[in-house]
Amino acid sequence: MRTYRRLMGFLRPYRFQLWGSLAFAWAAMGMTVAIPWLIGRAINAIVEYDKPDLLPLALAIFAAAILRLGLTVVRRLVAGKVSLAVEFDLRQVFYAHLQRLELGFFDGQQTGQLMSRATVDLGAIRFFLGYGLIFITQNLLTIVLASAVMFVIDPVLALLALAPAPLIVYAASRYNRVSRPAQQEVQQRIAELTAEAEENVSGIRIVKAFAREEYQLHRFQRAVSRVFDQSIYATRLQAFFSPLIGLLPQIGIALVLLVGGRQVINDNLSLGDFTAFYTYLVMLAGPLRMLGVAMGMAQRAIASGNRLFEILDREPRIESPPGAPALPAGGGRVQLRDVTLRYAGVDAGAEREGALPALSEVSLEVEAGRTVALVGPSGSGKTSLVALIARLYDPDQGTVFVDGVDVREVDVPSLRSEIAFVADDSFLFTASVAENIAYARADASLEEIEAAARRAQADAFIRALPDGYETRVGERGLTLSGGQRQRVAIARALLADPRILILDDATSSVDATTEVAIKEGLQEAMAGRTTFIIAHRLSTVSLADEIVVVDGGRIVDRGTHAELMEGCGFYREIAEHGLADSVFLQRDLEAREEMARL
Amino acid sequence: MRRGEDNALRNVGRLFVALWRLVRGEDQRGRKVKWLVSQLRPYRGRVALMFVGLLAATAAGLAPPYLAGRAIDSGIQTGDVAALDLIVIAFVAVAIIYAAATYLQTYMVGWVGTRVLQDLRQRVFAHLQSMSIGFFTRRSPGVLISRMTNDIEALNQLVTDGVVTIFSSTLTLLGVVVILLVLDVQLALVVFLTFPLLLIASVIFRIVSHGAYRATRERIAAITAYLQESLSGVRVVRSFGQEPRHVDEMTELNEANRAVNMKTVYLNASYFPAVELLAAVATGVILVYGGGLAIDREIQIGVIVAFVGYLTTFFEPIQQLSQLYTTYQQGMAALDKIFDLLDTAPDMVDAPEAIDPGTLRGEIELDGVWFSYKEAAEPGEDVWALRDVDLHVPPGQTLALVGATGAGKSTFAKLVARFYDPQQGRVLVDGHDLRGVQQRALRRQLGIVPQEGFLFSGSVRENVAFGRPEASLEEIEAAIATVGATAFVEALPDGIETEVGERGIQLSAGQRQLVAFARALLAEPRILILDEATSNVDVRTEKTIEKGLERLLQGRTAIVIAHRLSTIRRAGKIVVLADGGIAEQGTHDELIAAGGPYSKLYGAWSESSVA
Ligand SMILES: Nc1ncnc2c1ncn2[C@@H]1O[C@H](COP(=O)(O)OP(=O)(O)OP(=O)(O)O)[C@@H](O)[C@H]1O
Ligand SMILES: Nc1ncnc2c1ncn2[C@@H]1O[C@H](COP(=O)(O)OP(=O)(O)OP(=O)(O)O)[C@@H](O)[C@H]1O
Ligand SMILES: [Mg+2]
Ligand SMILES: [Mg+2]
Repeated sequence: MRTYRRLMGFLRPYRFQLWGSLAFAWAAMGMTVAIPWLIGRAINAIVEYDKPDLLPLALAIFAAAILRLGLTVVRRLVAGKVSLAVEFDLRQVFYAHLQRLELGFFDGQQTGQLMSRATVDLGAIRFFLGYGLIFITQNLLTIVLASAVMFVIDPVLALLALAPAPLIVYAASRYNRVSRPAQQEVQQRIAELTAEAEENVSGIRIVKAFAREEYQLHRFQRAVSRVFDQSIYATRLQAFFSPLIGLLPQIGIALVLLVGGRQVINDNLSLGDFTAFYTYLVMLAGPLRMLGVAMGMAQRAIASGNRLFEILDREPRIESPPGAPALPAGGGRVQLRDVTLRYAGVDAGAEREGALPALSEVSLEVEAGRTVALVGPSGSGKTSLVALIARLYDPDQGTVFVDGVDVREVDVPSLRSEIAFVADDSFLFTASVAENIAYARADASLEEIEAAARRAQADAFIRALPDGYETRVGERGLTLSGGQRQRVAIARALLADPRILILDDATSSVDATTEVAIKEGLQEAMAGRTTFIIAHRLSTVSLADEIVVVDGGRIVDRGTHAELMEGCGFYREIAEHGLADSVFLQRDLEAREEMARL
Repeated sequence: MRRGEDNALRNVGRLFVALWRLVRGEDQRGRKVKWLVSQLRPYRGRVALMFVGLLAATAAGLAPPYLAGRAIDSGIQTGDVAALDLIVIAFVAVAIIYAAATYLQTYMVGWVGTRVLQDLRQRVFAHLQSMSIGFFTRRSPGVLISRMTNDIEALNQLVTDGVVTIFSSTLTLLGVVVILLVLDVQLALVVFLTFPLLLIASVIFRIVSHGAYRATRERIAAITAYLQESLSGVRVVRSFGQEPRHVDEMTELNEANRAVNMKTVYLNASYFPAVELLAAVATGVILVYGGGLAIDREIQIGVIVAFVGYLTTFFEPIQQLSQLYTTYQQGMAALDKIFDLLDTAPDMVDAPEAIDPGTLRGEIELDGVWFSYKEAAEPGEDVWALRDVDLHVPPGQTLALVGATGAGKSTFAKLVARFYDPQQGRVLVDGHDLRGVQQRALRRQLGIVPQEGFLFSGSVRENVAFGRPEASLEEIEAAIATVGATAFVEALPDGIETEVGERGIQLSAGQRQLVAFARALLAEPRILILDEATSNVDVRTEKTIEKGLERLLQGRTAIVIAHRLSTIRRAGKIVVLADGGIAEQGTHDELIAAGGPYSKLYGAWSESSVA
């Protein structure tokens, strides 16, 4: 019921239209009643008069029909408009809410699940609001009016006729109780199926590469069967309750025929009254029969509403505090003080005891304008560390300061607009290259875009693309080569003109020659900014003033290249491995020795 | 002169053809619906039951008014209590039968409808599975998903709400037509005059609404696609703080969606009155015309009364059908869209005579290969990703591909896996042209670590075992150990059973790559393709991998693509690609000695790595 009321809340802005539309519907019903009455008059006229003038009556019928028509059209337009408006509003609210939620929320969500809510579930709600709601109120009104008239004609018979009413109410409420969870499960399974489809389509390259089409089809079939089974269960409920609710009033009619008939026979009731009574009773039975169907619709809408509200009720955990000031001006000084970060894991909320924190008690100070390289084994927490600076996650303990203020106390957009990332997966949007580069600053001029591209060593290849800067890159930028994608992502970050620049393994797919060139561009770009470089290769690390070694979520060492070569085993390993001759040639030697042996 | 006439005639003819197309619609709905109906065949029994239910329910629905009338006429009016009781008993019995038949009808319609739609869903999915990679690169994933979700739901609404109405309305209509004819042929014909009008109205409606309903499908697909993309790129959105912009863009799409739907609301609202109006006009005409006849005592008043009464029953089903029109059109537009997809022939199907090459030795040969991502590429155009590549890789050799970014290395690998066919030349494996080899038989023997990694949501174990789900836990653990990932996997909260999240989002970049690597190894490939497989992995792990690989590569062919030249291991041959062509090839020593592009690349690399 709560969900129902909340859904109705979305109708509030349109309540006048809605009432208007109901009024129109009722007026149209009035016409529907008037027309048979006029027809009756016409027939009487034919019977009674010799040469009656039928034209006025025919015209009256015609006029009434036209009136009804006008009313109906307006009602339909209004109802259609309102339902579309509510769908629009709900989707807006839903999407805006998704955009408010913090990154951690999405870690445990499947895109397909969220998509399904904003499309399939919303569709069910719209269908009900646009079609079912008026239908239900209209039917309820008919039922109430017909019952009232029946009581006026003959209270005793009316009581008899309405004898099954408690049963109807009981059946209806039972139906509601069992059908809502069933419908909700249907919607849930459709969402699972959407997620299954989504993953398969996005991962099609892997599916094909491993020749797993049949297996995927099998998985999808399972998702389809789950939807099917549950839908059939819901259908069975409807198939059972809906006729039952329709059957009960028929019992009332039978009782009326039996008892009322006897009254007529015993002259306690006139035949005319009886016939009228009967007519109203029939009028009542029709809507009751439809009520079961309409209720099914309503249940589906409420089930969908529940699923929407599930997300809407999830409060964002990272938000600017009310009235938060913008990030004060500064050079981009970054401090982490005793920071510990634990990821929530798939079943968000449940604290995992076994999981090691991704970062534990990390303290780090980076002066404005400095360039720091973060090195460390995979999964040591480098990406997690830089994510904290932009407040993509909040640490469980400790504080992050940018230019002297706690990031939790400033306006989030103002903070993020001063930080630019090149993430390790260089995600691009389906848009032109120029739009992708200008992502952070939609107002950037083409010159600025090109300048950024040049610095990232992307200009030359972009010009060679079929439509140059206007070439659309496919989903996730997959129509570009790995290195091209990374360079567009670098250009995107440079164009943002941030105070703090973060390069997370940003040149991992770029060849050495290009990398050298990018390094030059970066060196220019890095002037006056605080820069974090995450890298596994010495070649990239060499850009940094200082190197921080991360391992197991802790900072284990820190210093310049020379210092670390002295004191840090891990760093020495990187350096030595990276040294060309010692590795590459040595291997080559091995191979040659092997050859010699053969 | 004659010529001109001929032309004029032809133009008129063309005009008619065009008109006819417009009227009939170019969407071949008949074929599609027929196909859909043909899908019912496996469920013949249930369909029969469904019809029994529909017939019984429609018939039983007509009986109560009649019985009640009888109760009044032959029970109450004649004072025959026994007859009254009997008729009431019959009334109750019929009502129960009606309820039972409705149960049967609702259940069976639901069953058959849902079944067929789920089959259709599966078919779309299976069809997608047979499409080539190129197809997926051209289409937005969200739109494809929309076909399997929103469009099927639109059809679902039509089936569950529509079938019963269509069936019972049509049946009622037929019944009333017969009754009207029996009552009075002349008057009946007057009523039937409305049919052509109705038809014209429908045709006009169809022409006007052309495209409107299709547009609704396209809009919701656009919304789905936008959701898909902006949600999967949420990391970028958040880190650049661009939420307001995405909300704005969504508002636009949402607004466009509302606008096209509003158009269908207008259309529907204007179609419905046409039907209503006809009903009113017909009633008026019957009254005036029939009334006149009655006054002249040519027909009985009772006939007119009955006639007018039945007229309501006549137009009611028509009205109900018109109510359904939006749902119907929307469902049909969805069907069109689904068929657009199903009618797109898969562009890389196995030829019937394609062979299963058996266990591969792993010999690879490229013979004069030209390839462009643009399908109809002209030789002169500057769109070739590979140009005139000739290369022979003997079984068991490790081939290293190097070259600047965008040189065509990944493209080379994709051709070997036959993700694409070259426009010119041949790719051969074990001497078989890949066009004549069953794709899946080939790919089953490949182990690919693509440059853009992708993990499925599921556990680490499921992901590693993706290529070979029947693999034992030991084998899986061995593969994980080979890539040096044992330590990290064990440290995960649930060890190997830890969920990795969508696309492996809960792992670090390097960890994702390691899982993808282990997945390729577990597939026991005859040919291993490593496209920057360790670009995000730390050097210590990389060393472990190299050691493991050494053993693994015994007797297997491998294509290794790497920018860090240190990754190249035991490369029997190094091929330098430049601008899609082979710049040079040979062993490391030969290439260094030659002083060509490779030695420059190598120089740049060793310089940068010394820092
Ligand atoms: N969204 C997440 N949810 C749960 N766990 C996560 C998430 N992101 C990272 N982790 C875990 O936190 C640890 C640190 O990950 P992080 O991405 O910071 O590593 P990294 O140092 O950047 O590694 P790499 O060099 O491989 O990118 C890893 O063990 C990883 O599995
Ligand atoms: N799906 C695609 N559609 C159109 N063009 C593409 C597609 N994939 C790659 N290209 C283009 O083909 C060329 C070769 O790309 P390829 O991915 O083979 O390069 P690469 O040598 O692997 O580079 P990298 O080292 O950066 O990964 C590039 O210019 C790229 O833009
Ligand atoms: Mg990382
Ligand atoms: Mg590549």
